[in-house]
Amino acid sequence: MLQQLTNLSDKELISRARKLKDQEAEGVLMERYSHLMVAVCLPYLNNGPATTPEEVYPALLQRLSASLRTQTIPKANEWIHYTIRAQQAQAEKNSPFFPSTESREQQQMENKVEKAATNLKEQQLLAATIESALGKLPAEEQYFLKEFYLHAKSFAELAATKNYTIEKTRQILQQAKQKMASLLMNETYE
Amino acid sequence: MSNLENNEKILKIFSNIRCLNRDQLPRYLDGRLTDVEKHLVEQHLVDCNLCFDALQVLQQQQYREKYQPLATSMQQYIRSSIKRISQVHKVERYQRQEQKKESFLIYFWVVAAIAIGAGVIYLVQQQVRLKSPVPKAIASNAELPPAQSENPPVQAAVVVPVHAEADPAPKTAPSTATAPAAPSVTPIKPLEKKDSLTAAVKPPATALVIPLKDSAKKLPPPPPKPVEAKETTRVATAHKDTPTVVKKTEDKPAPAKKEKADTPEKKPAAEASGTDEFLYKAAQVYHHQGDLNEAISRYKHLAEGSGKYGELSRYQLAVCYRSKGQTGKARRMFKEVVRMNGSMKDKAQAALDNL
Repeated sequence: MLQQLTNLSDKELISRARKLKDQEAEGVLMERYSHLMVAVCLPYLNNGPATTPEEVYPALLQRLSASLRTQTIPKANEWIHYTIRAQQAQAEKNSPFFPSTESREQQQMENKVEKAATNLKEQQLLAATIESALGKLPAEEQYFLKEFYLHAKSFAELAATKNYTIEKTRQILQQAKQKMASLLMNETYE
Repeated sequence: MSNLENNEKILKIFSNIRCLNRDQLPRYLDGRLTDVEKHLVEQHLVDCNLCFDALQVLQQQQYREKYQPLATSMQQYIRSSIKRISQVHKVERYQRQEQKKESFLIYFWVVAAIAIGAGVIYLVQQQVRLKSPVPKAIASNAELPPAQSENPPVQAAVVVPVHAEADPAPKTAPSTATAPAAPSVTPIKPLEKKDSLTAAVKPPATALVIPLKDSAKKLPPPPPKPVEAKETTRVATAHKDTPTVVKKTEDKPAPAKKEKADTPEKKPAAEASGTDEFLYKAAQVYHHQGDLNEAISRYKHLAEGSGKYGELSRYQLAVCYRSKGQTGKARRMFKEVVRMNGSMKDKAQAALDNL
């Protein structure tokens, strides 16, 4: 049973955990992201009261478990990151998780691209629209996106060309992608 | 081709890539990924804050040392809780399966018991239904032989007075006549009587048979055999009785002739009442079986006569008409019964009121 659950996607595991109250599915999902949870929580361990690993990690898992039953979770990584930040902010109550507009728009574009994977014509159309949206972006963002995606340059290489840090390079790429998604979604609604 | 490649690369901007797994995280940090893998990881890092923050933390050596044991213990903690859950689930699942099996068996046996009970009740009812008309038929048949047996005793009773009456006559006759003449007469008489017997037997037999035949004609076809049997028994009894009657009537022809005239009349009367009773009972049997037409034909035949069976048959005829829905005829019959002012008057009146 566990073997079968490990092959399921995040969406399927979340669905099982919520609808069927499958605690095993919940456990498999938590285990999938446990190493990232551990890494992100490391700076906040042993910094104050109730910050030992034995307290922090079980508490985090409990928060996630409680949130899983009630929240709409389009992306598991976003939801886990949000919950970790809420715990680190020492918020006593679980504030509800809502995906941002940019995140939703990007997700919609990703779904479109996934749907067009089997249809060559749709792929061509979509690529053309993305290219036209790319042309509407500022020069720097356009450059970064083209270099990163079309010429497969790494963060380090891109950062080196502009003398930016990797964090800034990533930030520019993230913003550029969000703008493009927003442009494309607005175009479809127009 | 270049267009296709270009399109693929452009579409990569919005391709969905999974988070770094346990193996990829340290390898990326160590630079042990291939260029393609690295680029894919970085494509994911553009959007995923969780993975990027994790990488940022683990790039610091102090946290890198703590990471591995904590990650392992976290994994073990989650797996042990899953195991517990899975074991509990397994136990629960097994218990649920066993409960389902038990409940299924219980329901099955309950249904089977109900079905068996219903089948037994149905069979018993069927047997009861089969037995109920048979005893009635048996009862009606049992009453018929006594009726039949009454006839010979009636005949015997009829004959016996003849004998009794005839006996004193012969006794008185020889006493008045000369003694030697009587014995001489008697041997001759048997010889003569033999001839006369055959001649005498025939007319009375025919006389007896004729009314019997008439009554047989009046009777419907179904009970011809018992009538025939009656005829044969009556003829046989007549055969038996008539010689003695004839003997004694020759001694005293006048009173014997009168008695002969009386007995045939008494015999038909007794026979008629017996046949009425038989006919009435046969009609009742048909009535109970539901064969109203046969019952009605018999009741009609009996209704033509008067007396106890005439009234009873009129009443039953009215009941049959009512069962058939012929309320007009039923009403007429009930009124007749009321007019007759017999034992069935009250019942007929009540039935009329209900109609």
